[in-house]
Amino acid sequence: MNIIVCLDNNNGMLFNKRRQSRDRELILRIKELTEGHRLWMNAYSARLFGDDVFVADDFIAEAGTGDYCFIENTPIPTDSIEQIIIYHWNREYPSDTYFDLDISGMKLISRYEFKGYSHDTITEEIYEQQKI
Amino acid sequence: MRYNIRYTITLLLLLLFSISAAAVDAPEYSGEPYSVINDNIPFFAVPYVSEGDVIYEVFEDYSPLDELGRCNAATANICTELMPTDERGDISSVIPTGWHSVKYDFVSGKYLYNRCHLIGYQLAGEDANTLNLITGTRYMNITGMLPFENMIADYVKETNNHVLYRVTPDFKNNELVARGVEMEAMSLEDHGGDICFNVYCYNVQPGVVIDYTDGNSGAYGEFILEQDKNILHKTGCLGYDGKNETNIAIAEGAVWEFVKHGITLCPLCRPE
Repeated sequence: MNIIVCLDNNNGMLFNKRRQSRDRELILRIKELTEGHRLWMNAYSARLFGDDVFVADDFIAEAGTGDYCFIENTPIPTDSIEQIIIYHWNREYPSDTYFDLDISGMKLISRYEFKGYSHDTITEEIYEQQKI
Repeated sequence: MRYNIRYTITLLLLLLFSISAAAVDAPEYSGEPYSVINDNIPFFAVPYVSEGDVIYEVFEDYSPLDELGRCNAATANICTELMPTDERGDISSVIPTGWHSVKYDFVSGKYLYNRCHLIGYQLAGEDANTLNLITGTRYMNITGMLPFENMIADYVKETNNHVLYRVTPDFKNNELVARGVEMEAMSLEDHGGDICFNVYCYNVQPGVVIDYTDGNSGAYGEFILEQDKNILHKTGCLGYDGKNETNIAIAEGAVWEFVKHGITLCPLCRPE
């Protein structure tokens, strides 16, 4: 599966069980990136996306090879990951839940910046599992 | 103030706010820029939620200065109508209580103090409003408060929703510099589903000791105290008898603290 997360400047993901931020341009970008694939998430995240997404409480268990999982408030899996797509808000937000997955063994294969609706610059980084 | 629309319900809510706007007993600063208060539930949330009302009126309310010229709570219903469309103007004409223009090399931007907005400019567009500016450290302003302001601002821009927001400076007794600010916020349309916090940001600056009575400050340091004469030296000063170890003690703090306690500064090494 492919993991999608959004992080602030301190690798923060949540504060007080709530997302730090959102951006409508980012949603469009994720839909574009995942077009033709299944995009999984839980009900909390689905409110951002509307239709055309697969929603389940245990969506990570449901996701198969090639599927995408948009993760906000659930633990990040440590195995079966093909790619990790990180969106950096390039902003400071309060945080009490952090992205702590070690991605040092993965390879950065793509980096792309775009303007958000409420964010000056959002950076997309795609990391891929190294082939052994 | 660009908006002055007051509805009965707003006034009632503000009354409730003012009752609960007393400064909280925050935990002592322990190295983090803020502490969570009341499990992140704003104190104004209880009456609001129990009544089940939603307010959409645009308002911002700044408490009058007290007899010492100090700010008190500032409250606003943050929404796109309040947010500025222009760059921030000059606010240097405002001299908040305890203000000192002082620099330290190790402080980002050099200046210890900022004219610190209670309701941040990006949220309500207030420039040189004396009721909305306090003497705040760079650390509190940028590391403590700004991330919370960013979170509200970006949420409101994205959703066009409203966030009820109150910032209350915490002045102890007659001190002229606040010990910190309490920041409370709740998104209204979803009863705090997206934005809900209550935090206390500390008005401190790592490496600096602040005298909150008047805003005086000094770099934290280690000195030598010549105990029989009550004289403070820099470490390595030749002005004290280093052979008599029973007469000297290591003293930590800022020079102004020692002076305040009647200790004389060595004229040779001039600790500062």
